[in-house]
Amino acid sequence: MIKILVLCTLIVLSFAARGAELHISIVTTSDLEKPTRGQSFAGIQTQIERPVLRAAKLAVFESRTSFETHDIKPVLTTLNLDSSTEYGPQLASIHPDSLVIVDTPEDTFVEIAQILNQLNLATINVRHTNPELRQTLCLATLYHTIPSDRMYFDALVQFLIYSGWRKVLVVHGPGKADHARAKTLNDSLSKFGADVSDTREFTLSHYPDDRDRNKPEFITGGASYDVVAVIDTARDFGRYIQYRTHRARPVVGDVGLVPRGWHRTLERYGAPQLNERYRSFDSTAKLPASDAMSDAEFATWSAIKLITNSLNTMGTDTKSLVDNESLNISSVLEHPEAQVDLYKGTRGSIRRWNQQLRQPILLTTEDAVIAVAPMPKFLHPLHYVDTLGLDEPESTCQLD
Amino acid sequence: MVFFRKVLGAALFAIAVLAIFLTKTVFAFEAFISNERSGDLISIDQEGETAYVQPICNRPRGMVKGLEQNQLLIACSDDDKILEFNIRTRAVERSFDDLYGAMSLAIHRPTQRLFVTNEGRSQAMVIDLTTGDTLAILPTGLEPDGIAVTDDGTQVFIASENAGLVHVFDALSYQQTAVIVTHLRPRRVALLENRLWVSSEMGSRVEIFSTETYKKIDEIIFAPKGFRSEQLTPVDILFDQTGTLAFVALGAANHVAFVNVKSLEIEKYILVGRRAWGLGVSPDNKSLIVLNGLSDDFTIIDIESRRPRINRQAGLIPHAIAVFAK
Repeated sequence: MIKILVLCTLIVLSFAARGAELHISIVTTSDLEKPTRGQSFAGIQTQIERPVLRAAKLAVFESRTSFETHDIKPVLTTLNLDSSTEYGPQLASIHPDSLVIVDTPEDTFVEIAQILNQLNLATINVRHTNPELRQTLCLATLYHTIPSDRMYFDALVQFLIYSGWRKVLVVHGPGKADHARAKTLNDSLSKFGADVSDTREFTLSHYPDDRDRNKPEFITGGASYDVVAVIDTARDFGRYIQYRTHRARPVVGDVGLVPRGWHRTLERYGAPQLNERYRSFDSTAKLPASDAMSDAEFATWSAIKLITNSLNTMGTDTKSLVDNESLNISSVLEHPEAQVDLYKGTRGSIRRWNQQLRQPILLTTEDAVIAVAPMPKFLHPLHYVDTLGLDEPESTCQLD
Repeated sequence: MVFFRKVLGAALFAIAVLAIFLTKTVFAFEAFISNERSGDLISIDQEGETAYVQPICNRPRGMVKGLEQNQLLIACSDDDKILEFNIRTRAVERSFDDLYGAMSLAIHRPTQRLFVTNEGRSQAMVIDLTTGDTLAILPTGLEPDGIAVTDDGTQVFIASENAGLVHVFDALSYQQTAVIVTHLRPRRVALLENRLWVSSEMGSRVEIFSTETYKKIDEIIFAPKGFRSEQLTPVDILFDQTGTLAFVALGAANHVAFVNVKSLEIEKYILVGRRAWGLGVSPDNKSLIVLNGLSDDFTIIDIESRRPRINRQAGLIPHAIAVFAK
């Protein structure tokens, strides 16, 4: 007996019951999430890991005037999958015209994305930055609104070159993800002509013979460099490198100057208003002033706002799309004029070859946005932000 | 020979003096710039010299000339108020309070009404300038910014940045009459005859709508050399005194565009400072002043020769400008 346990909550926002329905489904697998997600050793929280639902609700809240004008009724549902049974039948319950936002661990995500592709459902990756998901998992229904590591690192390296910090010491962790991300960083460094002084792997062991690899002073010694780039996916060791480098040099990457999709201290482009709205739009659950959307939340917000904003930019095609029982999300995402106002000074749109949302990247510290990439003088013949991430000729995924 | 040289020298000197004198009289103006981050007002003249700096309020933004000749109305966004400033006595003569997040202003002098957008509250307010009473609250989309009222005082147009909409209200009954769908992030609205011009900051264009049918008539897409489309982020739109030229500040593209109002042809792009957004034109129609929001300066352009004449430092984040005849 196959028991399907689908926890499905329906949050229908009260609008007049006419016009096209806009279906948004958020897929999670809460029984697969580690309770220690975002935490380092001893339960120390090092990364914000929140469910993306709040950001989705914010996007729907922001869109209500647009939806009224275009005669659209949003239907936001959540689907928490039971990992002990087949995903296929559970996912088949999703409305065929939906925008499906998937917020699950990476291996599960790959499985779910493939099933959703068979179901022909527009799928959004809001969580995983692994460039491989944009290369080998090249699915016609799969879109990425969270930047790829390649975009983050390209932004960071542009900043290094712009600052004249060309000699880079790379320090990375021992994990599989650390190795893969260090390779991606290397691709970015060579793309923009930086010099790698050396690449070193740290260990968490305190064993005295390992001191060249476990003491920040030693692991950053015996080399000449302008800056230390740290790859530490788990945030275990990298946090201790700043202020203890052998040479007085800045630290960038996963610590120090960090490339991000969104930040609470962006001052321009209307960002303070968006941050304020995120904290206060839900009067029953207001957030403190220190809170802002994580990159995954911002990616969720971006995906829904891409649909909302495109209603304004698709011209006469909007009317024919709205003249249906439900809005066909794929038609919107595939439309050449699909665009979104990202509150980062430059509009976002979809890269046709790998369906990645093109967007500026913020270079941030704990309490400041130091720069917004692309940096000046990094020029692209077609799109201002396409110096960030895999450009069409470099991409193995060619969906266009 | 010596005598001839002396005469020539004196003549040249006289011409030079006359030229300077003429230039000064022709271009003479006094302008006020609100600086949103430094919280002050600066007074500049036609040579770009700052006569004085007046600390004014928290985050002064939109400004409009008041009912009296020497009055300037200043929206203080973080103080939720509008100040009535006398430019001669340099005194704040009146304060209109409880105007939540007051941002952009429009005035209808015949009926003595002030229209103000309340940025964080998805609305605009109509204020009676004589009594200070609130006459109406007009609901808009999120982040209302640009606001304009027709000369006859019958219609008001309000752009909501987040919503991508311009809400149209009957300015007598205060009932909403239409909603105009715009491109991304509509910022400023400007009226000329029966046309509504709307700048779309993230759509990199200016759209033109009919104020009768509310239908889109045309659009202007900007493309100065060396910039990609996404870098063009137009904000302020201003018509010259004769209504033949439109000026559009192109934001991150660091240029201002001169547009022929009739043909909609872009006649010239002029390089200014970083993130050009606020615009003012002198009463004699000779000078265009451009505020550059990221480089904290302003550029004075000679409209006739279409060349930048002067570039000078402003306060922190110059936002709006009001130009008075001297």
